[in-house]
Amino acid sequence: MAVDRPRRPAPVGARGGLVLAILIAFAWAVWQLELDFAALFPSGARLTILGDFFLGALTPDVSSLALSEMLRAVWNTVVFATAAMTLALLMGIVLGFLSSTAWWSEDGAAKGNTCVTCLRCTICPAVYVFARLFIALFRSIHELFWAVLFLVAMGVNPFSGVLAIAIPYGCTLAKIFSEMVDEAPRESATALRAAGASAMQVYCFGLVPRALPDITAYAFYRFECTLRSAAILGFFGFETLGYFIKGAFQDTDYGQTWTFLYALLALVIAADWWSGAFRRSFAQ
Amino acid sequence: MNAREKRVAALWEKRPRNTFLERSLLAMGALILVVFLTSGFELGLSAKRLANFDRFLVDITPFPLQGKPFDFGVAWDWMVDLLQRGGFEAAISTLSISVVAIVLAMGLALLFTLPAARNFANPEPFVPGPNPPTAIELYPWRALVLATRSILILLRAIPEYVWAFLLLSVVGLNAWTAILALALHNAGILGRLTSELVENVDTETPSALRGLGANRRQITVFSLVPQSFTRLLLYFFYRWETCVREATVLGMLGIASLGFLIDDARVAIRYDEMFFLILVGGAIVVAGDLVSVVARRIARHA
Repeated sequence: MAVDRPRRPAPVGARGGLVLAILIAFAWAVWQLELDFAALFPSGARLTILGDFFLGALTPDVSSLALSEMLRAVWNTVVFATAAMTLALLMGIVLGFLSSTAWWSEDGAAKGNTCVTCLRCTICPAVYVFARLFIALFRSIHELFWAVLFLVAMGVNPFSGVLAIAIPYGCTLAKIFSEMVDEAPRESATALRAAGASAMQVYCFGLVPRALPDITAYAFYRFECTLRSAAILGFFGFETLGYFIKGAFQDTDYGQTWTFLYALLALVIAADWWSGAFRRSFAQ
Repeated sequence: MNAREKRVAALWEKRPRNTFLERSLLAMGALILVVFLTSGFELGLSAKRLANFDRFLVDITPFPLQGKPFDFGVAWDWMVDLLQRGGFEAAISTLSISVVAIVLAMGLALLFTLPAARNFANPEPFVPGPNPPTAIELYPWRALVLATRSILILLRAIPEYVWAFLLLSVVGLNAWTAILALALHNAGILGRLTSELVENVDTETPSALRGLGANRRQITVFSLVPQSFTRLLLYFFYRWETCVREATVLGMLGIASLGFLIDDARVAIRYDEMFFLILVGGAIVVAGDLVSVVARRIARHA
């Protein structure tokens, strides 16, 4: 009887190949960018700036003026992020529904009259493909590019900033929502279908409730990201944290820069804690 | 109320509840309400806005085609010309910046991985000793974990764009600014993800090695690295995707990448070129996503 010999692993497996590819890409990129490693070590005036900047970390500006500005900046950031997240959530729900397959595909067990079947075979897949392409295209454009576009089209008003964040975030939410629903556990869906529910009923009562915890947790995580994006929008003239960081740093007032940086840190860490606690409370 | 309804009501009373969750959702709802009631956002589309938008649609059509019927040949020549005048080069350097940045980020993150993992950075990793550790043995490790975790939080809490802005006056106007900005932020994220990998590692092998008298270095080389290598690669490519996305915009600070050309076109009021280059940015992001999806599939099935 032939004994199976333990198979010897390939000398360079797929993972090794990936690492090799990464290293080659890295070497090529360094060559392509003509990186000058000497520039990594600041000297002269730049070293002074670095020193002053870190001194600023120890002596943040805590005058009442700076603190009241800081509070205003934080509130503006929260307002932008919340408004953008609300719009993004609406977009995500609508587009996520359109770009999911579960509410129309019957897993080959289509019942009902021919007219509905016909719709299901033509219109619904077309809507699905169109929605998928739409969210892929709009998601791939960075929110700051959207901001630039809306600034050019509509000028600096809060609406352009909110929309700039809401569009790419809404499309990301749509992608994740639809995938979460399509990949939700199917037991209750199968039971509902066996009891004679339509695909839409199965979607609403069998699949969405199963995916809802994941969806809510993900939405909370994205809220944390909107806060960061809203802060950065300040660099483009909206009065969020970025606006004040830019202003104070360009005035070489490093103490005040750190006041706003600490505010940003606190905001992000608080949001991180909140969304983390939210996810953990689901895991229980 | 009949017996059945009573039973249903009793079940409803006993349903599992999560007060933290309910309060969080309530707080979120209240926040949304306050924001929309106090800030007075004009979310409607006024006539002026629509007019502005119409003008904008004309501005972003390729210049040789403005006010003329669409001609694909002319549009194609215009596109090729734009790409040859720096668009293509900027796209390549954007990708290069993202690759260098993510490799540096992973290298930096791996320095923090082990000291940030609570189950590894303690007096007796994986197998508890016969006696509980004394305070003198315990607290230096606790301090190490706290210090590395604080550094990681600081690194990831500051967004790439802010890092790049701050680094601009220290490193100067070159690719390093973008690379370091991406690397620092992503090192914070990857450091946390990889230390969680170590904390959630299947403890059979490391415990067995420790029981045989292996030291920390041996446990790392023969158990932790082989066990979490696939996940490491998955995280690497997942973060690379976002690096590509962020690298396209960092140019707007003046660093030679796609964003620089886009900002340049905006300042020169050539909105048609600006719009086209933004689409090129989107194409790079999609290309990066595709490469990453393929690479992650290879890693997962290796």
